[in-house]
Amino acid sequence: MSKDGVEVLVDRITKCFGADGMALQDVSFRLFTNEFLSIVGRSGCGKSTLLNIIAGLLSPTEGKVLINGQPIHGPGQDRGMVFQHSGLFPWLTAVENIEFGPRNRGIPRDQRRARAMELIELVRLKGFENKYPRELSGGMQQRVAIARAMAMDPKILLMDEPFGALDQLTREDMQRELLRIWETKKKTILFVTHAILEAIFLSDRVIVFNSKPGYVKKEFVIDLPRPRQKSSPQFMRYYEEIYEAIG
Amino acid sequence: MKRSTKRSVDQQKSGRILGMPEQAVKIATVVVLIGIWEMLSQAGILNPLHFPRPSKLIATFWELVTVGYPTGITVWVHIKATVVRILQGYALAAVVAIPMGLAIGRSHLLLRATNPIITFARSIAVISLLPLAIVWFGVGELSRILLIAWGCFWAILTNTVQGARQVDVNYINAARMLSTSKTQLFFRVILPATLPRIFAGMKIGLGVGFMVIIAVEMVGTIKGLGALIQQARFYYSSHIAIDGMIFIGIFGLLISFTLDRLERIILPWAVGLEEVER
Amino acid sequence: MNHSGFTKGLWASWLGFIILLVIWQCIATFKLINPAVFPGPLSIVHTAIFDVPGGRLLQHIGISLFRVALGFLFGLGAGVVLGVTCGWYLKLGSILRTPIELIRPIPPLAWIPIAIIWLGLGEPSKVLIIFLGAFFPVFTNTYKGMVTIDPLVVRAAQTLGLGGTKLLLRVVVPATLPDIATGMRIGWSYCFGCMVAAELIAANSGLGYLIMNARQVGEISIIIYGVIIIGVINLITDFIIQEVLIKRKLKWQYITT
Repeated sequence: MSKDGVEVLVDRITKCFGADGMALQDVSFRLFTNEFLSIVGRSGCGKSTLLNIIAGLLSPTEGKVLINGQPIHGPGQDRGMVFQHSGLFPWLTAVENIEFGPRNRGIPRDQRRARAMELIELVRLKGFENKYPRELSGGMQQRVAIARAMAMDPKILLMDEPFGALDQLTREDMQRELLRIWETKKKTILFVTHAILEAIFLSDRVIVFNSKPGYVKKEFVIDLPRPRQKSSPQFMRYYEEIYEAIG
Repeated sequence: MKRSTKRSVDQQKSGRILGMPEQAVKIATVVVLIGIWEMLSQAGILNPLHFPRPSKLIATFWELVTVGYPTGITVWVHIKATVVRILQGYALAAVVAIPMGLAIGRSHLLLRATNPIITFARSIAVISLLPLAIVWFGVGELSRILLIAWGCFWAILTNTVQGARQVDVNYINAARMLSTSKTQLFFRVILPATLPRIFAGMKIGLGVGFMVIIAVEMVGTIKGLGALIQQARFYYSSHIAIDGMIFIGIFGLLISFTLDRLERIILPWAVGLEEVER
Repeated sequence: MNHSGFTKGLWASWLGFIILLVIWQCIATFKLINPAVFPGPLSIVHTAIFDVPGGRLLQHIGISLFRVALGFLFGLGAGVVLGVTCGWYLKLGSILRTPIELIRPIPPLAWIPIAIIWLGLGEPSKVLIIFLGAFFPVFTNTYKGMVTIDPLVVRAAQTLGLGGTKLLLRVVVPATLPDIATGMRIGWSYCFGCMVAAELIAANSGLGYLIMNARQVGEISIIIYGVIIIGVINLITDFIIQEVLIKRKLKWQYITT
């Protein structure tokens, strides 16, 4: 995991929603190439709003997001996103969902089908490519969602509590899957969650986020070798520290 | 709050009533009722003019199919006339309502502007427009078809509007992250996402159209299922009227059955996804 | 998306309506369509004020509303009673539902001829049609509500010692009320349509008759006026049912959901 090169610079982002007040207040942090960065905080809209701004789906009231020095203008091919409720298109099969982005870009059928099948194999769903989302379990749906986001070959993967709707066991499987994919494909991942254990297990760095208004409270570097043991004393120490920081 | 379809474990049907399978009991009920009817008619308790005997009704079926009523117009002619009218009115309504509904559903401004008009127009009883239609378009097919179209139109429109409005924002966000242009967003996301609701509207619309046409056919025409029973009324032919009603009922069932089948073919992915607007 | 958005929306609502009226009046004023058959909104208003004596109109409205109310109440009563019965005594319900489900596909309006043969041209035949219009939606929704009650609610009540009729009346029926309400709403609008149709086709009083008669006499303005009146009454009654009955009595449903 190289830390050279700032991939994303979040610079003093502020977001107000009229009468609802300030959702984000002066949020700044850096995201480095190939890094796995988690944002943890209580359940609330601040973290999702931030992620949506970085994705380009929302505009900040103040501040900017720079990627490799360039400010962003809306969504782009360099960023992919995975949502909590997969957001898979129910009228398309798994493989068609994955092909969605490339198809919009005009990539010819054979090429995009080959690429999509590669991704199906990467997320270990071979045999399920022609199933509709409603025929797939929650975990499988999220895997398709990850593959779909990766079909555009983005440098940065934004994930908004992607495992939040899954049961505990599936969730832990998916965490390991995600790490495997991350290490294979060398992406930069920005991961939002309210589960502290999950964040520590997955990330290089954890940012503790305050909700209402949202701002960066504290940063932790997780200096543990992978694969990490959730029961190890160092792991638990990080947990206690982060838990206290959330407050 | 999720609800199950069985009330409570203790009250669950065992599938058997009085020791017999449910289906058998239902069939038996029908047979018994018809039997009682026949007996009462035989005994002269039921006025034959009002309640023709079941045996006579069956004979009338045959008569309607072969000889027809009024003579020469068999039930097939009636059915064909009704079907043709419904199809034309329905197609007209759908072709106008769906694009309009999509446009209105996706535009806040249009939605606000048309809402009062739609609300009011919907509440106009379709049949009340019959005299107006006759004045403007004469007593021919055109006024009938336009009335049916008007009747179907509103259900299709309102459901399409709601469907287009309520496209899950997750789909739209996901699409935006996948290099989707505005046109692509419309045709590849909004349209398919709205399709189940459009279909629901079309089912309701057809139901309404069906009711409208029966009434419309009672005025100014002698061909069509509605006309058939209206004719029967004039001659106090209760047997024709009742048989006609049975035909109408069967016809209605066929329509909804066909639509359900069609939905399963066109929308295999959308099972029970939607909340419907009446 | 707040103040200015809301007012803009309000403007838009009225604007759409007004534009429509203006276009309508223009067509009439410039005689783009034969004015004998296409009166403008202004002449409709004129008719409303001068040509239809208020008393007579109210009389027709009264008769129509009376019919609908009567038929509706009968249909509501029968629908709820039968729906609850069939939903509570499931086996009996199976038997009772068979003839009902067989008759249901026949639209109420198709009953008009037989109703006239049976009951003549007077009030009863119309009330029958309206009754049918209300009965089926109310029955279907009530029954559906009865059989899809959350079993947890029933079991909780049973652990509190409720059984038999008390359970039915104090727990099960109230839990079914939302579905009954839905059935009522649908039933009412069907009733209204049935009333107009029945009056149009076979009556000598009431709003439907008024319109049909006006056509024979060639009074287009009255027809349009009648159509609009029917629509307005429909809206008002729908509103009353929606707001007053449902939102008041079923507050609990809205808050918990």
